[in-house]
Amino acid sequence: MSYKKYNKILTQLALLAICFAAPIVQSEVVVVVSASNPVSSLSKSQVAKIFLGKSYRFPDGSRAVPLNQGEGTFERDDFYQLVSNQSPAQVKAHWSKLIFTGRGRPPREATNSDAVKQLLAGNGVNIGYIDHTAVDDSVKIVTIK
Amino acid sequence: MSGQVGGSKEQPQYKEKVSTPLKPGSQHKITEPHIFYPAVLIVVLAILWTMTLQLIEANHLSAREGATNSAIELAHTYEAQVVRVIREIDQALNVVKRGYELGNNKPMLTLLDDWGLLLPSFLFSTSVTDAAGNVINSTRAFEKVNVADQSYFREQLEFDHLVSSQPWQNSYTKTWKLTFSRRIDAPAGAFAGIVFTSVDASYFVSGYEEAQLGQFGVLGILGTDGVFRVRRSGEKIVSGELADYSQLTLETDGLKNQEARLLTNSWDQVARYTVATKLYDFPLAVILGLSEEEQLQASKQLRQLYLQRATGISIIFLIITGILFRLSWQLQQSRRRAMEEHIAHAKRVEHLAYHDSLTGLPNRSFFSRLLNHGIAEAQRYERCFALLFLDLDRFKIINDTLGHNAGDELLIEVAKRLSNSLRETDTVARLGGDEFVVLLPEMNEEKQLSAVAKKILSAVEKPFHLAGQDLRITVSIGICAYPLDGEDEQTLLKNADIAMYHAKEGGKNNFSFYSAKLNSDSLERLALESSLRQALERGEFLLHYQDKYDLRSGEIAGAEALLRWQHPDLGQMQSLQFLPLAEETGLIIPIGRWVIETACKQAIRWVEQGLPPRCISVNLTARQFTDAHLLEDISSILQTTGLNPAQLELEITEGLLLRDFDRALETLSKIKELGVRIAIDNFGASFTSLSTLDNFHFDTLKIDGSVIREIATDPSDKQLTEAINPVAI
Repeated sequence: MSYKKYNKILTQLALLAICFAAPIVQSEVVVVVSASNPVSSLSKSQVAKIFLGKSYRFPDGSRAVPLNQGEGTFERDDFYQLVSNQSPAQVKAHWSKLIFTGRGRPPREATNSDAVKQLLAGNGVNIGYIDHTAVDDSVKIVTIK
Repeated sequence: MSGQVGGSKEQPQYKEKVSTPLKPGSQHKITEPHIFYPAVLIVVLAILWTMTLQLIEANHLSAREGATNSAIELAHTYEAQVVRVIREIDQALNVVKRGYELGNNKPMLTLLDDWGLLLPSFLFSTSVTDAAGNVINSTRAFEKVNVADQSYFREQLEFDHLVSSQPWQNSYTKTWKLTFSRRIDAPAGAFAGIVFTSVDASYFVSGYEEAQLGQFGVLGILGTDGVFRVRRSGEKIVSGELADYSQLTLETDGLKNQEARLLTNSWDQVARYTVATKLYDFPLAVILGLSEEEQLQASKQLRQLYLQRATGISIIFLIITGILFRLSWQLQQSRRRAMEEHIAHAKRVEHLAYHDSLTGLPNRSFFSRLLNHGIAEAQRYERCFALLFLDLDRFKIINDTLGHNAGDELLIEVAKRLSNSLRETDTVARLGGDEFVVLLPEMNEEKQLSAVAKKILSAVEKPFHLAGQDLRITVSIGICAYPLDGEDEQTLLKNADIAMYHAKEGGKNNFSFYSAKLNSDSLERLALESSLRQALERGEFLLHYQDKYDLRSGEIAGAEALLRWQHPDLGQMQSLQFLPLAEETGLIIPIGRWVIETACKQAIRWVEQGLPPRCISVNLTARQFTDAHLLEDISSILQTTGLNPAQLELEITEGLLLRDFDRALETLSKIKELGVRIAIDNFGASFTSLSTLDNFHFDTLKIDGSVIREIATDPSDKQLTEAINPVAI
């Protein structure tokens, strides 16, 4: 009986794991700014422009300095897919062209979400993206319209 | 037909007048529609096509120039970008090199990357090796690799300058890479390793803009070794291919301005406006090409458009011109038809005016013009001609007995025969009635003219088949010649007429030449005729009576009335002197009536005077005898005078009987029915048999004098006389 009971618990745990696993696999990337930044909401294309080197300002006119995550991170891939519907290769080709033709420099890169939070807290960069699980008081989520 | 012959002389007037509209081909005026419209069409089309082709050519040239210029411009930009990128790479490598040289082989790389002094790490991976070629530090996770065998490593062993590698393929990602390196020196100057950075070869062609370069342009970097580091056309990117470096960069060396050459590129056989520029101080050249086909496509489309438009306009013009041409042609045709109708009408009118409607021969007025023309021409060129005046014999009788239709038919037939028996140049005209006239140009010899006259005579003489019966008619011809017998129309016609009368007098079916004597005879005759016409009214005739005796009893048996004319100028004339004329003119009919009446009255008077009744005889001429009113006249005279018919004897000659035997017999028997006596005169002059004569129921036989004379001399003939006598009595 105890074996059976144990088995049952295992099954329940597995089901629970699957239930939790789904949101983990569908990780949700959120755009963040430092807590003190007045920007609270942006459109997808405004974010895309800032991160693809086409715009250097927020809608209120203040300077926007984006911070990327490292190449190959799921946050980065998901982010670009979300805001500009572009694959990593397309993003790379886009930046290659901007850099090659001298029309832009790529955003600085942070190795992970924590690094993003740290850098946003300091000076220099003021907009980034992190997994929503990493969100804390140091940053503010920007609503994507 | 000589109607046409005569007409032909008159037609030229018309031909001259109408030749212009009738023969448009003879005068090729530019205003003629069949020349004007095609000419305009050709000019318009020539202008249109010249302009179109010039426009196309100009457009093509400017498209080529545009392509060349933009190729050069784009090449400049590309060159500048490549140079800048290579400098950036060199600069970043130099930073690492210096960092390592100063930092005593401390791991400077991560630090430099954090400072942002390196190239963007997601494009470039930068590594540092030791002197043995082992990678000791890298911006990317790396395996422990050794690059000592790489060409750039070996090159850096010897030289301290920027080295670029051949393109190489990442065995894992299969992407083509390019590596750039710099040597790192130890403090003493010894070789301490290299810093190298690798980047996707495609990075160097990421500036490819389809908007500028199209699908088939080319952008690339070619090593002086002839190996393409990278090359891109559209989305297609290749590395490592070979090309003829010297051929591509041939003319761009030196100080010459860059130029774009139209080359068929060896690697893909596409014709491009190609620019190749060697980079300064670096063994690479940038290649840029614009596809000819793509660059000139717009121009080609424009060309197509122009050609289509020109063709369309040409077709429209062609159609419009065709319609105009057709319309004007139709107009011209209808004008021509109207003109032709007008001319035909005019010709008909003229023909009617100048031709005899019955025979189609020229009429009197036309002939008059022809004759005058002939006279003028003969005068001018000293030529001669002859005029023949023709009059049908006995035509009146045929007309009276067979009717006018038959007479008309006869005239038509005669006209045909006359025309057929003459030359083309001769003219036959009908003056009216049964009178014809013939003009024979350049003829005046009697022999020739006689031949012509004989020909006409024999042509007319042949029997005609008219109104269901065969009949013969003859013609009398008078001939006169110009200038011998007259020099004007009137004289010529009059003289020919005189000659014709002479021919008639000479027994008809005959011809006669005019002579001066004929003229005077004719004048006499004319005078005689006119006085003869008045003689009856003036009472100039009188009758003499010659008694006839009975040979047996010796008493007066009767009297013969003999006609005399008491001419006011010429005195008394015997009947022989004027009777032929009276017979010919028909005056004999009223004169004869007067004679019979006067003779009858005389016979009555004798009885009243108490003389015994005597038979009075009157001669009848041929014309009188055949006159339709003869019997009427006789019976009315007998009635008015009241003379016993048996006291009147009419004499006819034997010859008269024989002309138309049956008719004569009929007339004679009708005369007999009136109770009038009949005498045959001049018996024996012809050879009538007595048995024939017996049919005539005559009362008296007057034997010709010649017969009597012979009886007296030849005894054998006495028997004949004796035989005749009982019949006569």
